[in-house]
Amino acid sequence: MHLLTGLVIVVMAAALVRAVAPGKPILTAIAGGIAAAALLVAFHQDLAGTDFWAGTIGFLAILSALIVVIHPNPMVSVLSLILNLICLALFYLLLQAQTLAILQVIVYAGAIMVLFVFVIMLLNLRAEEGLRIGRGVQRWGAILGGAGFAALLLWALRHRQGHAWMEPGRHAAEFGTAGSLGGLLFGQYVFATEAASVLLIAAMVGAVLLAKRRLD
Amino acid sequence: MRIDFFLVMAALLFTIGCVGVLVRRNIIVMLMCIELMLNAVNLTFIAFSHELQSMTGQVFALFVITVAACEAAVGLAIVLALYRRRRTTDADDASLLRW
Repeated sequence: MHLLTGLVIVVMAAALVRAVAPGKPILTAIAGGIAAAALLVAFHQDLAGTDFWAGTIGFLAILSALIVVIHPNPMVSVLSLILNLICLALFYLLLQAQTLAILQVIVYAGAIMVLFVFVIMLLNLRAEEGLRIGRGVQRWGAILGGAGFAALLLWALRHRQGHAWMEPGRHAAEFGTAGSLGGLLFGQYVFATEAASVLLIAAMVGAVLLAKRRLD
Repeated sequence: MRIDFFLVMAALLFTIGCVGVLVRRNIIVMLMCIELMLNAVNLTFIAFSHELQSMTGQVFALFVITVAACEAAVGLAIVLALYRRRRTTDADDASLLRW
């Protein structure tokens, strides 16, 4: 908790310097770096723990997700979404899903995000003048509904059965490796794998058809 | 640390993506918010896979990544087709099929 407060202070220091002296990114970077160094000195004994890193990565993930939603420039949104995906890949590593962490970086942060970057640069999208967001009922309904939904999820988490602690040594040695994942994919879930391949081909055909100028 | 940390994180990310889809009007940003939601679901799958010591959650997370790839390809093709006809990426301007 202290750590999250410290990280918020770092971000606020950088924002303050940016507001006081706009147009001087180096000064902002120096201020942010000094605040980050002070944070490291203050919490150096926590650095070895998983909690420290999980908290830091979680903070980064939430921050980048918020930037995706609130930034008017789509390019900045894409880049912070890539940061978010990499944070989630680190979470997968903490949860002993090594193969999926690698796949997340290669397929998601690599291939899928390249599509987004490509389309944004192709359409030459600029930052929106003001943020184009829904008006009136739609905006407040979305925000209230989101808050209610988050409250519902957190309530469900608080009252669920079985509060497990993370114990790294508890799992079998092949948990999360590519071998055991492949064994499940082509053994128990072979039908789902074939269905996924059909889905990929259908999506490819659909994308090619949509990209044609005339359908004849 | 508890598995609940990851579950809470996934719930927050899903909510942020959900509000983003409902609030933003730029179709590309809406697609990105959908990616955020799919990722939050993936994190939940993998957290429960760790808690239950079963690889099934990881297999399902892999399928979710596949579906996300299809969705991004088709969605961005639709955005391109829309931009070619209407010169816009605003969801409110594509109102032909709206009641």
